[in-house]
Order: sequence, then structure tokens, then C-alpha cells
Amino acid sequence: MNCLELRRMAMLDPRQLGEAAMEHAEQCDACREFLSRTFQFETELAQTLRVPVPDGARGRAVRGAASPTSARQPRWMALAAGLLLAVALGVALVWPRNDPMALAGIDFVVFEEAQAILDAKPVEPEVLRRVVAQLGITLPDQLGEVRYTGVCPFAGGFAHHLVVKTAMGKVTILLMPDRRIDVRVVAAARGLAAIVTPVAGGSVAIVAGSQPSVARAEMILTSS
Amino acid sequence: MPAGSNDFEKGLRVRSRAAVRVGFFDALQHPSWRRKDRGMLFEGRKKAFEGAVDAYYDDLYRYAYWLCRNHWQAEDVVQEALSRAWRNWSGLREARALKSWLFTIVHNEFMRAAKRSRFVSSEFDADSLESDAPADPSAAIELRRALRILSEESRQALLLQVLGGFNCAEIAAMLGMREGAVMTRLSRARQALRRKLEPDDYAMEANIS
Repeated sequence: MNCLELRRMAMLDPRQLGEAAMEHAEQCDACREFLSRTFQFETELAQTLRVPVPDGARGRAVRGAASPTSARQPRWMALAAGLLLAVALGVALVWPRNDPMALAGIDFVVFEEAQAILDAKPVEPEVLRRVVAQLGITLPDQLGEVRYTGVCPFAGGFAHHLVVKTAMGKVTILLMPDRRIDVRVVAAARGLAAIVTPVAGGSVAIVAGSQPSVARAEMILTSS
Repeated sequence: MPAGSNDFEKGLRVRSRAAVRVGFFDALQHPSWRRKDRGMLFEGRKKAFEGAVDAYYDDLYRYAYWLCRNHWQAEDVVQEALSRAWRNWSGLREARALKSWLFTIVHNEFMRAAKRSRFVSSEFDADSLESDAPADPSAAIELRRALRILSEESRQALLLQVLGGFNCAEIAAMLGMREGAVMTRLSRARQALRRKLEPDDYAMEANIS
């Protein structure tokens, strides 16, 4: 081995120098000096590269990787799951939920209205006009033909019960002068749609066979 | 032998025998494997994995650190790499290949992260001294600075050799290069570092050779 070969080998990997290289270094002062500096440099290099490992990093790595659930799912799955959850929450918030009071209106129409018509005492037109005025609504002819008026128990109190034949079918209206609510609520069940809407002097429940029919009646009642 | 290597090799031998008999996943699915057996197998795998992490974590972390130049990112890269290694643990057949396999996964994970531009390239904090108690702190700082001048491929080859103890053929396989190219990069990396750190000595030696 000559000086050039030794230096080439030393620059490639000083740890892999063979017997021949060491024998040459023993006889060559310059190469011995070169190897001495090379080994010193390698020691410094190895020491510099040995940066400290953060405390607990190894434990965190094992716990994170080898959990029984077989570690992490791909990031896009987490993203998709998050997106789905956000959409579901949004839909749940925006989607109209059946309000108990509006549902009670539907149940009244389905289960009690017929009996109420048979049992209830008709309301005097004067009384009805006063109630309508108190509520701050109108009952124009445009709404339809009022076929029945009466007073009946509803939702823990009493309501003035009207059955109206409209262009869009039968509509039941429950006038509740002393029942105040904060927001308009809706429900749809048993093939019927219902709303309970706040008005000036109380609230009004409207139940009909379809949402447009309910909406039309509400618009006419509250358009005064 | 590094701590944990015995556990790792025992675990791997047990698993390899099972894999040879019926195939690893077939064995897991077979009705004769009761829940308890599967639990034991899982525990065996986990123990072997933990042994491997114990043995090589520090070197993997340091390799990742010098690739990323940031402690947090390095830990993240190694964490991702070990998660990947655990998921593919059943595919490992040779205990001898484990170390280079783990280093390769760390390297690939770094490349993936860099490609996604997850890492903001940070400069070395040349003024801070983070190595384990260097004999000459100022020399260590100079060396850290000097490492910046190396090309990415030269630095990767040098890191794999010094930190991982791999030979040129192994480095070539890990980096997807020819062995000759690795040899050239290693020589150039050392020349560049010594030229930077010992300009006078290096010039003299160059004249001699």
C-alpha cells in the first residue's frame, strides 16, 4: 500500500482501514500523522453528531406506534372523519326538529279533534272577535270558510279551536291568548304539518295536511 | 450488544417459526388460535418491537435530527417512521436487516415530509451547542457550521456511516444509489469538512499526497 491509497481509504471510511494500511502507517511518518488527525477528526465528528435525545421520547414513540389499535390511521381519514362530523353537526343544528308543542297540535287533530267538536260548546262570535283582537291577528274571508269554533283543553290550558275549510284543504287553528312563546316552532308527523307561532297577545297553533297549507294560513292570519 | 436486542431476537424467532408453519396472518385467523393465543402473539410482537426501539431509537433520532435540523420535527419523523414500522412488522423476516430497515423508513419518512413541505427549512442553530459534552466546544460548533456546506446526499451518506455504522454497500441500498457514488460522496464530504475546519493542515496533506 502507498500513501495515496491509504489516504483514499481513510477519507472513505477510517474505521475500515485494514492491516496493510496500519503497517504502512507504522513505516511512514506523514501517513501516521495524517491518520492521527483523521482519527481525531472522526472522534469529533461522531461526538458532534451525538445530539442529546429528548427525555421520554423513546417511551412516547413506543406508546404511539405499538398501541393495540395498531397505531395511526392515515391523516386523510382523520380529515374526512372530522369533515363528516362537522357536516353532521351542521345538519343537526339546521334541520328542523319536531317541537313538543307543535307535535301536541298534531296529536290533538289526530286523536282529540273529533271528540272536541262533539263535546265542546260553540264560541260566541263576539268572544271570538275579542280573542282575535287580543291576539293581534285577523280572520279574513281570504283564509277560508270557518266551519267550527269551540273552546277545548289543549297543552295544559284552553284554546279557541277553529276548523277552517281552505282552498288547500282543512286547517285547524288553535288560538291561545294567554300562552306566550318566544320563537316559532314546527313539527311534522302522522302526515300532518304544524306550527306554533308567537303573536302579539299570545300564540297560535296551525295544523294542516301540508306545509304550504300551514304557511298560507299563517301568512294570512299574521298579515294584519 | 444493545439493550433489548435479546428480547427482540427471541420475539422475532418465535414469530418467524409461526410464520413458517402456517403463515403469520393465517395463524392469526385460524380458529385454533384462541383469544389468549392471539394476545400472547401480540405481546410477543410488541416486546420484540420495543426491544428494537430500545436498541436503535437514539441513532434513529439523531439521524432524523440531522436531516430535519430541528428536535420537534425529528421526533415527529421518528414517531411516524416507527408507526409505519409497527404496521409492517410482520413483513420483517431477517433480524440482521432490522437496523437498516428502520433507518430506511426514517429516511423515507423524512423525504415524504419534506416533499409535503411540512418542514420549514431551518438553519442550524450554530451558536448553540447540543452535542453530548464535546471535548472541544468551539470545535464542535465549527463542525456543526461546516456540516451545512455539504450537499444533501453527501450529508445523508456521512450520517448513515457515522451514526448508523453502515458500510458503503448498505448505504447505497438505503439511498438508492450505486456503491461507487456513495464512496465518492463520502470522500468528498470528509474532504470538504477538513478543508473547512483544518485549511492549513489539509493543504499540507494535499501537497504530500
